[in-house]
Amino acid sequence: MTESKEFEPNIVGFLCNWCSYAGADLAGISRIKYPSNIKIIRVMCSGRVEPSHILKAFKEGADGILVSG
Amino acid sequence: MGDKLNFAFYWTAGCGGCEVATLDIDEKILDVAELANIVLWPIAMDFKYEDIENMDDDNIDVSFINGAIRNTEQREIAELLREKSKVVVAFGACACHGGIPSLGNFHNKDEIFQEAYVDTISTNNPDNNLPTPKTEVAEGELTIPEFFDTVYKLDDLIEVEYYLPGCPPSTDLIIKAVEAIANDNLPPVGSVIASKKTVCDECDREKKEKKVKEFRRPYEVDVDPELCLLEQGIICCGSATTGGCGANCPTVNMPCRGCYGPTSEVADQGAKLLSAVASVIDSDDQEEIAKIAKDILDPGGTFYRFGMSNSLLKRKKLG
Repeated sequence: MTESKEFEPNIVGFLCNWCSYAGADLAGISRIKYPSNIKIIRVMCSGRVEPSHILKAFKEGADGILVSG
Repeated sequence: MGDKLNFAFYWTAGCGGCEVATLDIDEKILDVAELANIVLWPIAMDFKYEDIENMDDDNIDVSFINGAIRNTEQREIAELLREKSKVVVAFGACACHGGIPSLGNFHNKDEIFQEAYVDTISTNNPDNNLPTPKTEVAEGELTIPEFFDTVYKLDDLIEVEYYLPGCPPSTDLIIKAVEAIANDNLPPVGSVIASKKTVCDECDREKKEKKVKEFRRPYEVDVDPELCLLEQGIICCGSATTGGCGANCPTVNMPCRGCYGPTSEVADQGAKLLSAVASVIDSDDQEEIAKIAKDILDPGGTFYRFGMSNSLLKRKKLG
């Protein structure tokens, strides 16, 4: 295994169950690859995401946050 | 001495209001005197730090510490009291959550010194002298406590058994705490001596649908004494703040400022308030929303007024 020294961001994605999460799911079913840097958290609506969720994610070490929906 | 308890009161980075609140329990202070020997109370009585240093560990039954920690002296005495005390109570908003002094965490030591000792209009300091921990004089070396970049809440530095929040804690809660100590009826360690619900729960104002087109400060509004203040466009922190105060501020037409800190269900009081305030803005138009949000003066200072040390943000990035 070769070690890459390039910066790999750690991204947390809050995805809406009805659109973007479904999209990510479809990508999986269609065997479309996407980088493993993103950790997806399914929410029932992107409106459910609160500022404190975002702050908490940064505190736990996220480099970037994606709120999608 | 006999079988009386030993109490210590100490004041760190705070305004002294907590000390006044202690005396505000009126004649109940006599019950405190009946119950306990006071072994340290710098504002009211003459004891020396040495007296405490010479004590055995756990000699003090309860230390009430009010104020945040922002210099080495405060840290030293807090650690000393911890060593000598069975129980430490974080007394007031500053000790519990950082309080007003923790707004200093939006800045750092250099910025604060520049403002306080150089830039303020009333300051005459042509040589730009700033406080330094050590100064050489003819007679020897003088030392003063060293100022930190960051303001800490008490439990960032020492273990704390109980929290009595508020700026200052209400007399009812102080009496409740003293009675619990007197009757040896203390709640589980780590308890916050306040309500488990929010200020809104104690506020009698009528709450209808919240739709706000404009945020205003209390002096700009002819306040309706019956209606929820947030519905009138006044930023009231009650919805994200622990009750126990009896909603004293909203009762007299002043919005809650958030001094009791977040409820146990809330991770970050400021973020929760931001969420609450954002959700009452009555507009679907991006530009209009931005314009309404601009009415909020100093959002950081408003949403985190009493709790920067306790927030997820903690402070402005250093360096």
